[in-house]
Amino acid sequence: MATAELNNKSASDSMDPKLFDAAACYHTFLEDQELSTPVATFKVFTEFIKCSQAPTVTEFLQTLTQVGDTIQAASMYDAKEWKLPTSTRKRNPHKATIATLAGIHLFNQFVRRNTGDFTELEELKANLLARSTLILQKATSARDRIAVTGSQFVHDNAVILVHSYSRTVMSVLQYAANVENKRFKVYVTEGRPTSDGLTAVSELQASGIPCAAVLDSAVGFILDKVDMVFVGAEGVVENGGIINQIGTYQIALVAKALGKPIYAIAESYKFVRLYPLNQYDLPSITPDIVTFSNRRKSSSNALEQADESQSNDLALSNPSVDYTPPQYLTLLLTDLGVLTPSGVSDELIKLYL
Amino acid sequence: MVLSKALESQVEDFISRLKRRQIVGSYEVAKETAIILRQVVSTTRWSDASVLVHVITDLGRRLVAAQPKELAVGNIVRRVLKIIREVVRGELETDDIMNSGTSEDSDGFSQDSEDDADSDREFKSILAQDTEDTDHTPRPEIPQRPKLQTESSMFNLLVDKNSEDIDYSAKSYNMKPLIIQEINEEIIADLETVYKGIADQALEHIHANEVIMTIGYSRTVKDFLTKAAAKRSFQVIVAETSPTLQGQAMAASLAEVGIETTVITDSAIHAVMSRVNKVVLGAHAVLANGGLVAVTGSQMVAAAAKHHTTPVLVCTALYKLSPLFPYDVDLFNVCVTPEHVLSFNEGTLIDKVNVLNPYYDFVAPELVNLFVHNLGSAPPSYVYRLINDNYDLEDTTL
Repeated sequence: MATAELNNKSASDSMDPKLFDAAACYHTFLEDQELSTPVATFKVFTEFIKCSQAPTVTEFLQTLTQVGDTIQAASMYDAKEWKLPTSTRKRNPHKATIATLAGIHLFNQFVRRNTGDFTELEELKANLLARSTLILQKATSARDRIAVTGSQFVHDNAVILVHSYSRTVMSVLQYAANVENKRFKVYVTEGRPTSDGLTAVSELQASGIPCAAVLDSAVGFILDKVDMVFVGAEGVVENGGIINQIGTYQIALVAKALGKPIYAIAESYKFVRLYPLNQYDLPSITPDIVTFSNRRKSSSNALEQADESQSNDLALSNPSVDYTPPQYLTLLLTDLGVLTPSGVSDELIKLYL
Repeated sequence: MVLSKALESQVEDFISRLKRRQIVGSYEVAKETAIILRQVVSTTRWSDASVLVHVITDLGRRLVAAQPKELAVGNIVRRVLKIIREVVRGELETDDIMNSGTSEDSDGFSQDSEDDADSDREFKSILAQDTEDTDHTPRPEIPQRPKLQTESSMFNLLVDKNSEDIDYSAKSYNMKPLIIQEINEEIIADLETVYKGIADQALEHIHANEVIMTIGYSRTVKDFLTKAAAKRSFQVIVAETSPTLQGQAMAASLAEVGIETTVITDSAIHAVMSRVNKVVLGAHAVLANGGLVAVTGSQMVAAAAKHHTTPVLVCTALYKLSPLFPYDVDLFNVCVTPEHVLSFNEGTLIDKVNVLNPYYDFVAPELVNLFVHNLGSAPPSYVYRLINDNYDLEDTTL
């Protein structure tokens, strides 16, 4: 319904990309909990194409770039808001700009591939729309394909550690339990500051999988009991490392130290051409704690008034994602099949070269 | 759909021998599988390739189920399926070459290949180095590089076609001899040349006066070392590989060709490792992540080598490469009779203890430095590429 509304509104608007509220459109799509960020981004672009009135191909392409920038700016803002408790959030934000970036890159590449064949703008637009529908269909089936691939790694009596809430990880676990009738136990980390892990616990319990929540700080303690670790990913970078909710990196380090396999589960449209050199080399807002720029109240004060705003303050000054280098990941389970981390760059090169 | 009576009984015979482990070892198994599949292609009635793919997949599933530990069976089935798909694609390409204007190059391998031969030929050169010159395939020349669609490619995210678009049901009458010829040349003839292909690289890896350690009996490793011994003098230490004592047999055959050979007990592996320059292992199967299933004791050798930072070389033919992953470390292992560990004559003791006699070891990819295969060499992190080149992703699960 919201989409239709947008269509009507935008149809009457002029070609000015500023009047097409890309950010609002993006947020509308993100309301759908089942939609992943790159797909939402892709959809915003298709909405924009539908109502774009740019007179020439060049101008059309320019406005597309602007829409991309708007979406990225919106996601930057989101990444900050995501850390607040659910009750105080204004909308359903997303934690990572990286997934948005993957979507924007993918769409740009998609457009670039197709512009060469058409000189007429209307033809180009019609072609883009027709093709993007097919692509979106394919993208929606990605999670099901991962479930089939990923559940092979779950064996009977396995104990699995899962970090926070990830839709792909959940689909793998549910497929293994409900379709393949495997019996296994799951530990889920709480996933501070949003405590999304608790959502995962209640969902898993609802589907009859024995599971328990553990504190993020108890990962080292519990890992001896664990056979394998599953983590989702916001983005998979060029060297095969992943960017995921804060805490993934330390879990990977502990898992490596204890010799437990750690599998990153991600859809291939989350692969992004980015080569982070360290934790701070990510396209997101640098958290205040890195620069010590946030002058908070003195610590004695903080102890006295450990109220809600205080903990919000803490969440806001901390990062929402971290980067896990490829040497700590055992394998990547994707809709393209099982990949070793070094296989990722191969796929990216195939797509972007 | 159905196999002929004679063929069916041959298949049954093969299956029961697989089950009883009367036929063991990747080479024998691979060869017999290839021959049976060739017969299926030639004697089964099929009017279009989709039927053939179906028949082969069905039979492949039966053979794999008979002995899941012999991964070579599944590998050969997948290779045959890939050949059929290649042939079908090649045929279709020539049929509608006139009206298909686009040629999408989605195959990663063909991109980094310099020569402008069409990719069927490339494929051939990957699999059979020696048959290249003798290749008189009656295939019409394809003026344009055929479209190779791999669902395994991220590229396909942006392509609105599926690999299912390939019409396997297209009728084609000269496909049968072509497929049979390809199986003959690329698989069966290839099996004959693997040992030579690997042994030819021996001089690159083994230098004068080196001390080499190996374990178990592997014809690949034996040929590899023998070839090197023709030019260089070096010393080989063989672990005896209890309880099968394959290592002793290996040592005997190495000594026969004049290599200075020492046999040690398995328990001395770690102690001797400090003197070793290089470890050469054979493999039963290589899994998609670069880990290998090898004779029991290999893990111990590899771990000791890691401890001493001694390079570990694995000699393996390409048909041992499996697209499966070690979902569970024990999945591809098998425990055989404990007779050789603790004889049944020791009746009083045998009641009181559990005796395990695993036949294979799983060696993690971190412990391996290099795979020497029949067409070159690759580090474990590159194995996935070799697998993508050799098999079709559709066939990973038979």
